[in-house]
Amino acid sequence: MVKLSINGQEVEVKEGQTILEAANSIGIEIPTLCYHKALSPYGACRLCVVEINHNGNIMYHTSCQFPVMEGIEVQTNTERVLKGRKIMVELMLARCPESEKIQELAEQFGVKETRFKKKDEDCILCGLCARICQERMGVGTIDFINRGIERDIKPPFETHSEICRVCGACASVCPTGARTLELKELSLREPNPILSEFNEGLAKRHPIYIPFPQSVPKIPVIDREKCIHFLLDECETCSIFCEAEAIKYDQEDEIIELDIGAIVVASGFDSFDPTAETKYGYGEFPNVITGMEFERLVSASGPTEGHIEVNGKEPTNIVFIQCVGSRDKDGNEYCSRVCCMYTAKQAHMVRDKFPDSELTIYFTDVRAFGKGFEEFYNRVQGENIIYLRRELDDTIQVVQNGNGVVVKAEGHPDIEADLVVLATGLIPREDSKELAQTLNINLSADGFFLEAHPKLRPVDTFTDGIFLAGSCQSPKDIPDTVAQASSAASRVCNILSQKELEIEATIAYVDETLCRACGFCVDACPYQAIELVRIQYLGHTTDVARVNEALCKGCGTCAAACLNGAIRQLGYTDGQILTIIKAFGEN
Amino acid sequence: MTEVIRFQILEDIQSKGQEILYPDKPRIAISMATCGLAAGAGKIYEVIKKEVKDQNLDWIITETGCIGFCQIEPLLYFHFPGKPKLFYGNLTEKKARELIKALAAGDIKQDWILWKIEDEESIINEEKYHLGKNENLKDVPLYKDYPFFAKQLKIALRNCGFIDPNSIDEYVARGGYSSFYKVINNLKSHEVIEEVKKSGLRGRGGAGFPTGLKWEMCSKEDSPIKYIICNADEGDPGAYMDRSILEGDPHSILEGMLIGAYAIGSNEGIIYVRAEYPIAIEKLRNAIKQAEGFGLLGKNILDTGFNFNIKIVKGAGAFVCGEETALIASLEGRPVDPRMRPPFPSHSGLWGKPTNINNVETWANIPPIIARGSDWYSSLGTEKSKGTKVFSLVGKIQNTGLVEVPMGISLREIIYDIGGGILEEKKFKAIQTGGPSGGCLPEDSINLPVDYDSLSEAGSIMGSGGMIVLDEDTCIVDLAKFFLGFTREESCGTCNSCREGLDASYDILNRITEGKAEISDLDLLEELSHVIIDFSLCGLGKTAPNPVLTTLRYFKDEYIAHIEEKKCPAKVCRALIHYTIIPDKCTGCGICFKLCPEEAITGKTKEPHFINSEKCIKCGICLDSCRFDAISISSGDL
Repeated sequence: MVKLSINGQEVEVKEGQTILEAANSIGIEIPTLCYHKALSPYGACRLCVVEINHNGNIMYHTSCQFPVMEGIEVQTNTERVLKGRKIMVELMLARCPESEKIQELAEQFGVKETRFKKKDEDCILCGLCARICQERMGVGTIDFINRGIERDIKPPFETHSEICRVCGACASVCPTGARTLELKELSLREPNPILSEFNEGLAKRHPIYIPFPQSVPKIPVIDREKCIHFLLDECETCSIFCEAEAIKYDQEDEIIELDIGAIVVASGFDSFDPTAETKYGYGEFPNVITGMEFERLVSASGPTEGHIEVNGKEPTNIVFIQCVGSRDKDGNEYCSRVCCMYTAKQAHMVRDKFPDSELTIYFTDVRAFGKGFEEFYNRVQGENIIYLRRELDDTIQVVQNGNGVVVKAEGHPDIEADLVVLATGLIPREDSKELAQTLNINLSADGFFLEAHPKLRPVDTFTDGIFLAGSCQSPKDIPDTVAQASSAASRVCNILSQKELEIEATIAYVDETLCRACGFCVDACPYQAIELVRIQYLGHTTDVARVNEALCKGCGTCAAACLNGAIRQLGYTDGQILTIIKAFGEN
Repeated sequence: MTEVIRFQILEDIQSKGQEILYPDKPRIAISMATCGLAAGAGKIYEVIKKEVKDQNLDWIITETGCIGFCQIEPLLYFHFPGKPKLFYGNLTEKKARELIKALAAGDIKQDWILWKIEDEESIINEEKYHLGKNENLKDVPLYKDYPFFAKQLKIALRNCGFIDPNSIDEYVARGGYSSFYKVINNLKSHEVIEEVKKSGLRGRGGAGFPTGLKWEMCSKEDSPIKYIICNADEGDPGAYMDRSILEGDPHSILEGMLIGAYAIGSNEGIIYVRAEYPIAIEKLRNAIKQAEGFGLLGKNILDTGFNFNIKIVKGAGAFVCGEETALIASLEGRPVDPRMRPPFPSHSGLWGKPTNINNVETWANIPPIIARGSDWYSSLGTEKSKGTKVFSLVGKIQNTGLVEVPMGISLREIIYDIGGGILEEKKFKAIQTGGPSGGCLPEDSINLPVDYDSLSEAGSIMGSGGMIVLDEDTCIVDLAKFFLGFTREESCGTCNSCREGLDASYDILNRITEGKAEISDLDLLEELSHVIIDFSLCGLGKTAPNPVLTTLRYFKDEYIAHIEEKKCPAKVCRALIHYTIIPDKCTGCGICFKLCPEEAITGKTKEPHFINSEKCIKCGICLDSCRFDAISISSGDL
């Protein structure tokens, strides 16, 4: 351990640490710019220079590099140091006068204007990009070239690098944003940015990310398919940064087994992908987006902070097309129920943002059935938003027109648009079949989960203790989903609040003396209520079928399947039924 | 091998060397270091060879290094057995041919002799070799009395200009390798270090770190591999003492390194020499080969079990490579960016191993210190700066060349006694010491003793020993701009402070020389200079503002004249000067009119001409061409 003092405060730290680390450990902040916790210190920006008194010998050194020494007295904010730092910032501002980041930095240091000759650079030569490429990505695509005023940072021979993976690490650490612009100068390979799923691919995300702002728990996850550590055993930057040491690369997915009393299935829906419906030109023209994408675009927490733009321009002519992927006799025949209203809402929002824009909605029937919906629809119509009706069978085609598109709808004049929003419908989740099999519940013809009875038991399934809520059962809006979920919750409470459960009286039982353990009944039981068990009988070990009384619904399928007549239903043995028949006959 | 036999080897070489050095037939040695070759020594050598051959003379023609008086190159000495050595300078091919003819005929061309040597002395073994006397040459000054050499004491340059650098025998003849012999046989490593420490020798590369202390730090490191490096990346413009030693006396470096290696416990030596020194590299290669041949380098040296190899690495031409951590980076194949110390190279240097780096001149001082003892060495110089230092004396001075003087000698003695005063009897204005990162000292510093501490107190540095004498025709702002222009290009560019700071300083100086600056710029320049010094990592940035700060300190008036009066007192800064024709002197010959590239001069033949200042680009062609001194330069008074 090494003892030193920083701003008069005694501190003891491990040998080999730097003054910066020692200062940070006792909460003393020293400004830095080219320092990065996961990279070797380089000392380019000189912002972290401090005054060091070593046995009366006053020195000025970068605290990010200078190792702690016994007995040194460090001052981080002397007048001379502060003056120097200010000049450093002034020099950076003179070098990169246009860089917003440097302007911000200058403001922090109280530098309003630089007194030095302004240049036209965007790189301050801090070397972070070269260091992360070399030290963390294990590549070394770029490094410094030349010296003095000619210094620059480039790939060897200033030509496209063959080893660059266009991973973008350099851009991610660039303090002025210069690297982002030059990524294409580094390599001929196309950068393959990781697109944010939450933002519908409209924004990029890191390989380690918090899935969406309101995620619970709010904990980052690592995308193993993109993470350089998992792909190439390099990087590990995140683990160096995490002070809680919470990043464990050897963590595996776990299966947690829970004993539970009931299940509410609320697995939601997938959004219809209109790519296959080529008539809409989705995926072909950047001007054509889905309703969901529009939601991200218009969201204040979205990639553009709520600013609607297409190809960097604000749209002026916007067309909404309804019933995309819904009410299609050859596809999803059902009505997705939410699209009419969300389209009305989106049109209303655009009108709010761009009062002079041209807004057109192609609809077939507007289904404004909820509370206040019709009123809202009327209001939107009054906002100079044109609703054009078309039959579902009428053709519609979106074709390119310069930088925009033209919507050609049968029976209507062509409309030039710079943004087309498709009111895509709701479809069952891709994995709903699999989930249905696992839970032993049923799917209806449209692929959504089937309720036990559309009117009398709308949240139940045919399996006791499993309930449905939301769009996994059928497309619905938020109020309906909340209502159904509340109902499901109360149905669950109904089960969980009882001390004892009442079971069916007419359940099956096995006459073990007759059972030959053929297993037909096990396969036949729709409720997985029968299993084969091993028993001791008359000194012999033998297998027999046994009914789980809590699961048996008394449907009688097993009794019918049993070849040996070993299974019967309580209260409905052959003898009892015959006796009943006889009694009827006598009366 | 017993010690006696080992010693016999050296004795044998030595006596053979004596025979070559002082043969029984006439010997001519031509200074053929880079300075000599630049002056035409190569041609002279060919001419003399041919002449000697044509005349069928049984003479020895050889080459030697630079004796220091570069101004009078090409230079040779002629030595007839039993007679004094005679030195002839300023040779031309014609003069050389004539000289040989005369010498062959027995005429020594007395008028041409610059100086003579009657007794030759070796600083190492103090042996005097009496060459001979010639009563007829009473008027010819002795070498030791010749003004340029009288105040010099040659320790590092002891053999330059006296021996053939290609001959190990001649080196040994003048006491070479005897110090190493003494060390390896009689001294323990710590005794060697103690001796170097006591001598007070400080690094001659610039920073002046005590050499003995450096060795001690490295010797205390526990590592099976240690490196010894000779820093021969001499980069200061105008400084060439290292080159001169390498070219004139390469074995002195090898011997110094051998002693250092033995003291520190290293088996690997590297000479990092700049690629722009091809002759030095050639001489070194040859010297290493010879030393290996005699078992003075390689495995089991002189049968003592001590191994030491030296290899040469060529530097790739950046000024900053001379900084030791940058030099290490260069050796390792990395970009030459200096790094933070600690860790010091003595602890973690080349490839992370303990490394001791010393400059060429430092290494050259080691053998004499061992041979003559630390008491002798520390008796030379001042209290804190011991021994001698080589300076390259250049600029507006009569005698230019390399001078080696005891520390503490005054600037006056160097400039006037050795240097012979200012050229054309102009007024001495300032002396710039320490290369591009040194400072400019004014006339009142002329009595300043030249040592590490006095120079640094005055705001300059010893540096590697550059000395540029400036006269009244030098613009001090222009000079500061020149040096800053150099350092801003040679900065490695890592530190924001150095790269951007020097560039910003240069810009301010540029504006001053163009008359576009404001008086507040001077404060900004000074403020910026201090910050560059505080905030830069290595010696380059920490000293680069020195030219600005010292000139601001001593010549602020000149800066102010540029800014406020838009006047360059030395009439140098183009933007601030005007060329005019003095009508009374102009004869109307029309030469200037013909030569002016901008057609700025008008006038009728035989009538005074006139310069159109709008068109004039101040190239100075008219001034140079006018035979009637009719062109005048004025500044600030238009």
